[in-house]
Amino acid sequence: MTATPMLELRGVRKTFGNVISLDGVSTSVRAGEVTCVLGDNGAGKSTLIKILSGVHRPDAGELLLDGAPVTFAGPRDALDAGIATVYQDLAMIPLMAIWRNFFLGREPTKGRGPFRRFDSRTARAVAREQLLRMGIDIRDPDQPVGTLSGGERQSVAIARAVYFGARLLILDEPTSALGVKQAGMVLKHIVQARDRGLGVVFITHNPHHAYPVGDRFLLLKRGRSLGDHAKADITREEMTALMAGGAELEELAHELERDPASPAGRVAADLTEEASALGIHPDGR
Amino acid sequence: MTADKKFRKRALIALALAFPLVLTSCTADDEPAASAPAAASGGGGDGYGYTFAAVTHGAAGDAFWSVVKSGVEKAAADQGVQVEYQSDGDPQKQAQLIDAAVNQKVDGLIVSMANPDALKASVQKAVAAGIPVITINSGQDRSAEFGAMAHVGQDEQVAGEAAGQRLRQAGVSKLLCVIHEAGNVGLEQRCSAAKAGLGATAENLQVDNNNLTGAQSTIKAKLQQDSSIDGVLTLGGQMAGVAANAIKESGSTARLATFDLNSDVAKLVQDGSVAFAVDQQPYTQGYLPVVMLTLYRSNLNTIGGGQPVLTGPSFVTKENAAQILQLADKGTR
Amino acid sequence: MTTASTVKAADERVRSIGLVRRLLLKPELGAVIGAVVIFVFFSLLSEVFRSPSGVANWLDPAATIGIMAVPVALLMIGGHFDLSAGVAIGTAGITTTILTTQYNMVLWVAMAVSLLVCLGIGFLNGYLVVRTGLPSFIITLSTFLGLQGLNVGVTKLITDQVQVQGLADEPFYDGAHAVFAGTISIGGQDFQIAILWWILITALGSWVLLRTRFGNWVFAIGGDLGASRNVGVPAARTTITLFMAVSAAAWFVGNTQAIRLGSIQAVAGFGQELIFIVAAVIGGCLLTGGFGSVIGASVGALIFGMTSQGIVYAGWDSDWFKFFLGAMLLLAVLANRFVRRYAEESGK
Repeated sequence: MTATPMLELRGVRKTFGNVISLDGVSTSVRAGEVTCVLGDNGAGKSTLIKILSGVHRPDAGELLLDGAPVTFAGPRDALDAGIATVYQDLAMIPLMAIWRNFFLGREPTKGRGPFRRFDSRTARAVAREQLLRMGIDIRDPDQPVGTLSGGERQSVAIARAVYFGARLLILDEPTSALGVKQAGMVLKHIVQARDRGLGVVFITHNPHHAYPVGDRFLLLKRGRSLGDHAKADITREEMTALMAGGAELEELAHELERDPASPAGRVAADLTEEASALGIHPDGR
Repeated sequence: MTADKKFRKRALIALALAFPLVLTSCTADDEPAASAPAAASGGGGDGYGYTFAAVTHGAAGDAFWSVVKSGVEKAAADQGVQVEYQSDGDPQKQAQLIDAAVNQKVDGLIVSMANPDALKASVQKAVAAGIPVITINSGQDRSAEFGAMAHVGQDEQVAGEAAGQRLRQAGVSKLLCVIHEAGNVGLEQRCSAAKAGLGATAENLQVDNNNLTGAQSTIKAKLQQDSSIDGVLTLGGQMAGVAANAIKESGSTARLATFDLNSDVAKLVQDGSVAFAVDQQPYTQGYLPVVMLTLYRSNLNTIGGGQPVLTGPSFVTKENAAQILQLADKGTR
Repeated sequence: MTTASTVKAADERVRSIGLVRRLLLKPELGAVIGAVVIFVFFSLLSEVFRSPSGVANWLDPAATIGIMAVPVALLMIGGHFDLSAGVAIGTAGITTTILTTQYNMVLWVAMAVSLLVCLGIGFLNGYLVVRTGLPSFIITLSTFLGLQGLNVGVTKLITDQVQVQGLADEPFYDGAHAVFAGTISIGGQDFQIAILWWILITALGSWVLLRTRFGNWVFAIGGDLGASRNVGVPAARTTITLFMAVSAAAWFVGNTQAIRLGSIQAVAGFGQELIFIVAAVIGGCLLTGGFGSVIGASVGALIFGMTSQGIVYAGWDSDWFKFFLGAMLLLAVLANRFVRRYAEESGK
C-alpha cells in the first residue's frame, strides 16, 4: 500500500474557454486499490476521466505514471501505458455476438497470406474463459451482446479491458443505469479486478456503491476537490454529508421544515432524507 | 437560355445557312393548305431560323429513339432550323416538358404520345397558343382530336396485322408476343393486331428491358413450358437477339420475327435466325415532322390530308438485309 | 472449465439455448424456408420447373442477381447502400465493349481497364461516404444518376447509337466467353457457368464475413460506427473496401452480360440495384446495418430467380410478376422481423 502510486494527479486544472472544469485536483491510484471519484453531474468527473485516459491534457498540474511525470498525446498513449477506459456506452455492438465484441479491433488470427483468418475457435474459448473468471457463465458466446443484461454487458467490457492487458481500469459510472442486483454484480467485478492487482478508478455519484469497494475517495464539486481521503480517514456518513453538500442541505431542510407537522413539511423532510441517502444533490444540480 | 441569347443564336443560324432547303419525296406538294390563318409565317425570311421542340417518351438509352433523334438532328441541319430534342418516359414529366416548350413560344412542336390522356391538356394548350403540333410514333388515334396538325408514324394496327399475316404465311400457329415495356399501349396494340393478322392463338409475355439476360431466361422458360409455341414476335430490336438466343438454347423450332431494327437484327435476318423485321423507319419519324413544320411555317403547307403519314411497315428480309445493315451501322436505320 | 460451467448451471441467470432459438437467430432462416416453399410450390404447378432444364433456366437469372447480392449484402451489413450498383454493370460492360470494338484494344486488356474503372467508382463512392459523412443513399444516388448519364452520353458520343455491338467478332472472344458465359454440362443438361461463379462468390463472401477480421469489422461498423471506431476498427478502410467489392461484382456481371450477348445497351443494369437490395433484405439483412447473411442474400437471389421464371412455367400472366415480388418481399421482411423479435424476446 505504500508503494509508488501507479497513477497520480497533482493539482490538475483544466479550463474550457472561461469555464473552469477542474481546478487543483489531486489523487492517486495504486495497484490493487480502488480509487472512487464521487461527484454530481457537472462536478468535473468526465473531464477527469478524459485527462486520465489521454483525451485531454491538463492546463496546469501534473500526471505521474509510476512516479514519473507523463504527458499522454492521445488515448492510444494511455492505452499503451495500460490504462483502459470503459465508457458508459461500453463500445460494444449490441447485434454482434459476445465473442465478436470481445475481440473487436484486436481479433486473433491464424493462417497466413490470403488465408489469414479470424481464429474464431480461440476467440470463443477465450471470451468464455475470461467471463467465467469474472463469474459469468455465458453458455453461448454466440449470443448477441444486446440480449445480455446491463450488468453482464459491463462485465464483458471489464473482462475485455482486463484481458487486453489493462493495469489500470477507469470505469465511467458503471452502476448508474443498473438495478440493485445488477449493480452488486458489477461491484463484485470491481473487487475481483482489484484483487487481481489492477488499479481501478471507479467513477460514480453514489456513495453507497463507492464506499464498500473503495480504498480512496476523491470528492468533486463544481470542478474543485472536496477532499481526497483514504478509507480510514472518512466514514460513510461523512462522505454522504459531504456529497450532499452539508450546510447547504441543512439549510434547505430547515426551509422546507418550517412546519414539520404539516403533511407538506413531512414530505419535504422525507424527500431530503431520501435524497441525501441516495447521494442526490437536493438543489437538483 | 435567355430570350436574348436565343435570338442571337437564331440569327446566327439564319445567316450561316442560306436556303439549304432539302425536300424529301414525302413532302409531296399535292395537298396545298386550304385554310389561311392570319398568323405571320415569314418569321425567318432569309432562312428558316425557326425553333421547334421535340418532346418524346423514349428513354435516353433507347436504340429506337436515338435513331429518331438522329433524324430530327439531320432534318434540323438540312432545313436550317433549331430543334430542341427532349425526352422523358414518365408521361407527367413529358407533359411538363411540353408545357415548358409552349412557354418558350416555340414555332412548332413534335410530340410522341405513348400515353395520350396524360398529354392531352399540354398538347391542347400548345394548340391553343397557336403552336403547330405534329404527333409522331404513337398516339395516332387521338392526334386529330387534340388538334394536332398531322401524325407521322406507323399504324400499329396495320403493321401488327401485316406482321401477323407474314407469320401465318411462315406457318406459325401459336405465337408468343414479347412485351418489353410494361404499360405501353402501342406494344399491347401491336400484339393484339398481330394476333388478328395471324388468325390463331397468341400469348403475351412481359420481360424486363434493362436486364436482357433475365429476359432471355424468361423467354426460354416460356418456350420450355409450352412447346406448342412455334412463333415468337418481339417488339423491339434489342429483344430480337435475346429471343434468338432463347430459342436456340431451349431447342425450340419457333420462327422469330421482330418489330424495329438495328444492326444486330439486320445480321440476324441475314443469317436466318430472324425471319423478318418490321421496320417503322424511325429516322423518318424524326426527319419528316421537322420538314413538315418548316413547310407549314414558311409556306402554310400541311401534309397528310388529315390522315396519318405512315412511315411503316417496311419489311427487312434476307433479300435487303445486307444493304440495310450498312445503314443501320450508321445509326440511321 | 467444464466443472465451472456445471457448477454455474444452477445459476438462474444461465439459460439453456435450444436448437430452435439458435436456428431462429440465423438471419438466413426466413429466406431458406421461403426458398423451399417456393420451390415446392412451383414444382407442383409445373413439371418443367423441376426438370433439369427448368432448374438450369431459373438458376441462370438467380446467378446474375446473386453475384451482385453477395457484396451488396456485405455492404448493407456494413451499414450502407449502393444505388449505383445496377448502372455500374452497364458502365463495366460498355467500357469493355467500346474499348474492344471501337479502339481495338485486346479484349482481356479492355476487361482489365474496365475493372480499374469499376474499382475507381467503388473507391469514389466509399471515399465520399467516409469523408463527407453523408448517408451513402445520397452519395450513391448521385453516382447512380451520374453514371446513368455517362453510360448513355459516352455510348452515343462514340458509337452514335445507344448500344455497343460486335463484341462477338473480336479476337479472344471465345476464351472470354468460355470463362464468363460458357456452360457446364451436368447429366446432359447445360448449366451457365455463372452459376458456378455465383456459388464460389457466395462461399467466399460468407467466409470473409464470418471467418475474417474484416468480416468482424463489417458487422461492427454497421452495428455502431462510433463504438467500433473507439475500439480501433479501421472504419474508413472497411467501408471503402466494401464499396469496391460491390463495383468489382458489377464489373463481373457487366462483362458477363456483354460477352454473353455480344453487345451491351447503354441502359443495361438500370433499375437492378433495387433488386439486389431486395435479395439481401429477403436474405435477412437489416436495412439499418449490423445484421445479415451472405448466404441469405444468395438465397434471396435464388428466390428471385425461381419466382421470375416460376410464374412463366406456371403459365401465369407475367404482367403480375412484380406484384408477386412485392408480396414476397413484404412476407420476407415480416417473417424476418417476427423471427428476430422472437429470438430477442426469448433472450431477455
